[in-house]
Amino acid sequence: MDALIEALSQGRLVALDYQAPTLRYFVERAEKGLEVLELEATTTFPSLARDFPALDWFERALWEAHGLHPEGHPALKPLRDHQKPYPFDPIEGLHEVPVGPVHAGIIEPGHFRFSVLGEQILHMEVRLGYQHRGLEAQMQGQGLAQALLLAERAGGESVAHALALAQAVEAAWGVAVPPRAQVLRRVVLELERIFGHLGHLAGLFTDIGYAYAATQVGKVRALLQGQLERLTGHRYGRNAIGPGGVYFDPDRGTQDELQDALHDLGREVGAHLQAALKHPMVLDRMRYVGPVSEAQARLLGLVGPAARASGIARDLRQEDPLYQPFSPVVRSGGDVLARAQVYSEEVRQSFAYLERFLAELPSGPVWAKEAAPPPAAEGYSRVEAGRGEVFYWVRLEGARVARARLVDPSFKNWRALEIAVRGMGLPDFPLINKSFDLSYAGCDL
Amino acid sequence: MNALWQTLRTGLLTRSLDKLFRLPAWAPGWPLLQPQGLSPQVRQALQALCPSGAFQEEPGEFRLDLAHCVLCGRCRRAFPQAIEEMRSLEVAVTRRSDLIQRVDLEKGAFVEATPPLPTRSELHLPTLAFREVSAGNTGQDDSEIALAGNPFHDMARFGFSVVASPRHADALLVTGPVSQNMREALLRTYQATPEPKGVVAVGNEAIDGEVFKGSPQVVGGVDRLLPVDVYVPGSPARPPAILHGLLLLSGRVRQRLVGGRLQEAGPQSARVAR
Ligand code: SF4
Repeated sequence: MDALIEALSQGRLVALDYQAPTLRYFVERAEKGLEVLELEATTTFPSLARDFPALDWFERALWEAHGLHPEGHPALKPLRDHQKPYPFDPIEGLHEVPVGPVHAGIIEPGHFRFSVLGEQILHMEVRLGYQHRGLEAQMQGQGLAQALLLAERAGGESVAHALALAQAVEAAWGVAVPPRAQVLRRVVLELERIFGHLGHLAGLFTDIGYAYAATQVGKVRALLQGQLERLTGHRYGRNAIGPGGVYFDPDRGTQDELQDALHDLGREVGAHLQAALKHPMVLDRMRYVGPVSEAQARLLGLVGPAARASGIARDLRQEDPLYQPFSPVVRSGGDVLARAQVYSEEVRQSFAYLERFLAELPSGPVWAKEAAPPPAAEGYSRVEAGRGEVFYWVRLEGARVARARLVDPSFKNWRALEIAVRGMGLPDFPLINKSFDLSYAGCDL
Repeated sequence: MNALWQTLRTGLLTRSLDKLFRLPAWAPGWPLLQPQGLSPQVRQALQALCPSGAFQEEPGEFRLDLAHCVLCGRCRRAFPQAIEEMRSLEVAVTRRSDLIQRVDLEKGAFVEATPPLPTRSELHLPTLAFREVSAGNTGQDDSEIALAGNPFHDMARFGFSVVASPRHADALLVTGPVSQNMREALLRTYQATPEPKGVVAVGNEAIDGEVFKGSPQVVGGVDRLLPVDVYVPGSPARPPAILHGLLLLSGRVRQRLVGGRLQEAGPQSARVAR
């Protein structure tokens, strides 16, 4: 318990899982790597959510899925199950504004309940679950090819999810992936990150009415998507990664053309972003809006750019030998501007890594040697996706998935939105929401 | 000044429909069954190889359901004699059955499909406003709809717009397998849309649930709940295919996939302002 509380107070929770009769807290070690802290539980377990809000949704999900009661949970209510009644936080004497699940834009469904005094938001509650498709349950008993298709549809980031599942399987089986495939995987992962980040940035510029920057960034984004498709055959990099290797293998010509194209796109968008993020209109609309402090970010257990914009220097690529040397992009403001700066700087960083990966692409096979899978095995993996850490844990029986547990970064970051909007004006909500740009499907699974 | 210079340098991005409908050389096309290549062994191997269960065998008949194809290209790589390729993005259809290729195994030929149904004339309007409803979608079909409005595809030039409220909409664009938790919201959005109204199912998930088919948490297709006018296959549906679907709904292009196979482009499609 002490080890758990220490890890939680430092914001090192990765996932929570239950396999009767054991609760398993996956936490990051203080130095490096993961450890699993176990706790016996049959009908109840002590809730830690009051002190550590990072556990709030994890405990609710567990209660909902296994009927295990978290004793002392401050606000126990359903997460994905809409059959059960859902009591919103009781806020009296304020005007309530309900928004969603169907929104005004082209976006996934979710419900936001604002309690406002005039224009000012005093409290906001996020209610999700509308996207719940039963994905984890659906994975059980599937072959790996089918499980991969599901993983690619779990959240907004197909490459990161496919990679995380593939790596979990490789960890379970002890498969060594050839160097060329390792580097190619990171090439598509970085392309996906840039594509996502440029989407967040173009959305932010649109929301403040800066159409010129939105169009220019959007144009580069569309051309970049073309390069991802050129490499993998798919506009979102699906069908590209499998356990043991990759399904694509660029020839020399493709590699050179990709390198040239990315070089130009990186330069072009870099110049636009640098100018745009200094524009007085941008500073005026984004600075001091939607702040999340470092202490809040740690308590909520935020990951990815949202955490780094609040001063937490954490990026899983720090531990990846292929990225060395690596220093995470960190800002301290925690506001919309800080998040935009992190996206922008990470775009530049990713283009630089792409240049290096493509220049030093090893030759050789793109698949590991095939070997018969062991009758039973377990493995986990973590991947730094554009939105933060994607976590997969699988138990395999032969080449079938007996059980899978996955956590999309959005599941950890949604609560940040509730904190960020407090005290802000209602019309700023779309902008603040866009600055996190979270996946609804990834959270609801 | 810089901005002006950059704009001039960028030039015109919008592409003609002819160009948009052409699949890029590096993207795999849609699989097309070759009746003479379908020996019993090949049929069995195809069913085992396809990760998403797009092939099905019934007594006397072999089928390929494009709404379950995730376009991985593996079937054609493994069995080029049994699978050809259809390279087109004009793939929107008005009937679910037009996404299914059926081979009569006894005759060794395709089962002939009846001529496709036209879309409803009351929606053949010069402009159409759409409300998008994402119902359990991964977010990528939604993203492709948004990209259909970017300068490259520019759906606005055909009079198509996405509006904030169903009250202002002529039709719904629905993505996703319809999660149980979105069922009610989708129904209510439909009820709030004034008549005459259309429904476009965008992407494989919206057509028949794709990989989510069978999950108790999803309805498994928009047409289980609402009358669907146009189906746009794809995983996710690509922006030009979505454009084709919207043009089909507004009566400005002909349907090209019939019984899952591509028909020749007719004179009608020349009528669209390119
Ligand atoms: S392309 Fe892939 S998903 Fe489509 S039918 Fe062939 S094997 Fe199945």
